[in-house]
Amino acid sequence: MEKLVVVNGSPRAFKSNSGRLISLFRDFWRGEWLMEYNVVQNKPQQVFSKLRECTDLLFVFPLYVDSLPVTLLHFLKQLEKFSLEQKPTVHLIINCGFLEPWQNDVAVDMLRLFSAQNGFPFGSFLEIGGGEAILDTPFASLVRGKIKKLARAMKEGKSLQLQVTMPLPKWLYLKASEKYWMQYGAKNGITPQQMDTMQIEGR
Amino acid sequence: MKLILSDIPLHVDLSGIQDAHFVDLSQLDISHCIGCFGCWVKTPGKCVIRDDATKVYPLIAQSEKIIYISHIQYGGYDTVMKTLLERSIPIQKAFLRLHHGETHHVQRRVEEKDAVIFAYGSCSPQEQELFTHLVRRNSENMLYRSYRIHFMSSEELEQAVNEEVAEWKN
Repeated sequence: MEKLVVVNGSPRAFKSNSGRLISLFRDFWRGEWLMEYNVVQNKPQQVFSKLRECTDLLFVFPLYVDSLPVTLLHFLKQLEKFSLEQKPTVHLIINCGFLEPWQNDVAVDMLRLFSAQNGFPFGSFLEIGGGEAILDTPFASLVRGKIKKLARAMKEGKSLQLQVTMPLPKWLYLKASEKYWMQYGAKNGITPQQMDTMQIEGR
Repeated sequence: MKLILSDIPLHVDLSGIQDAHFVDLSQLDISHCIGCFGCWVKTPGKCVIRDDATKVYPLIAQSEKIIYISHIQYGGYDTVMKTLLERSIPIQKAFLRLHHGETHHVQRRVEEKDAVIFAYGSCSPQEQELFTHLVRRNSENMLYRSYRIHFMSSEELEQAVNEEVAEWKN
């Protein structure tokens, strides 16, 4: 039986889209679910001891400045020092707010490199575009479909490279994202003009 | 403005160069981005975490020539530089634009830059290739007009950075 540990690499932890993606994944995972850990808990020993028992390790995180969030980077540097006889297979779900899922490629390659440097087999991954909003649109079903595929591939020990995004023309995505962010600002009493300021630190 | 961001202390000779700044990030108090989007939707252009990062990202915005000095880790920036880069998103807006055919964030008042990156520490050709890919991606999101990358050991760093900075005098 496959035994899974899931690491949420988002600095937003419980409020994160990564957390929502993990919930969706859990609906489709047919192996044993050992543990879900948020890197901001900063108690890595808790998860490291579980890694001795698991066969699969799934990282779920957002793209930050074209690569891994620094919170996850800290975690990986700690994990690197932890001695494991049997290394679990590493899998990934990465989401970015850009329309193009391939903007996640560098982050995938960084985890692939981490895995190669530290003797972890590298398995399957899913790159998500339009990630900040996609789960609240009708396209959420596309994400669910890909997560289901990912979960099945992991259970069967296959390596799959998956991508999903909103099937929209770019101009329409820009318009939709503008509306999304303006509504986000409005909830805080911030106008589109204020959000559009050219000033940095008030200057 | 000319700016050097370093994740380690270095002696860099900036004498005779106008409007040049050296920032040793290892001596600053900068905590990690919490992903709250406050700098986009609550206090646009300002990070809600009021630590030393708020003094550094305005300098990044104003710089036309910038040097990043960072240890390399898994083909990317190590934690000190990456923490700062993540805390620098107040210089961008939430809104997206099309740039070179891809969606990217709109910048606030940010100068186009010539960037030079000194990536130090032992790394394989594969890691160098990945780092180069990362910087190419950064160039789209961080308004680089041009960029160059130098890979080297930490022992070679100080001399190499000073040679690069000497070019600013010309």
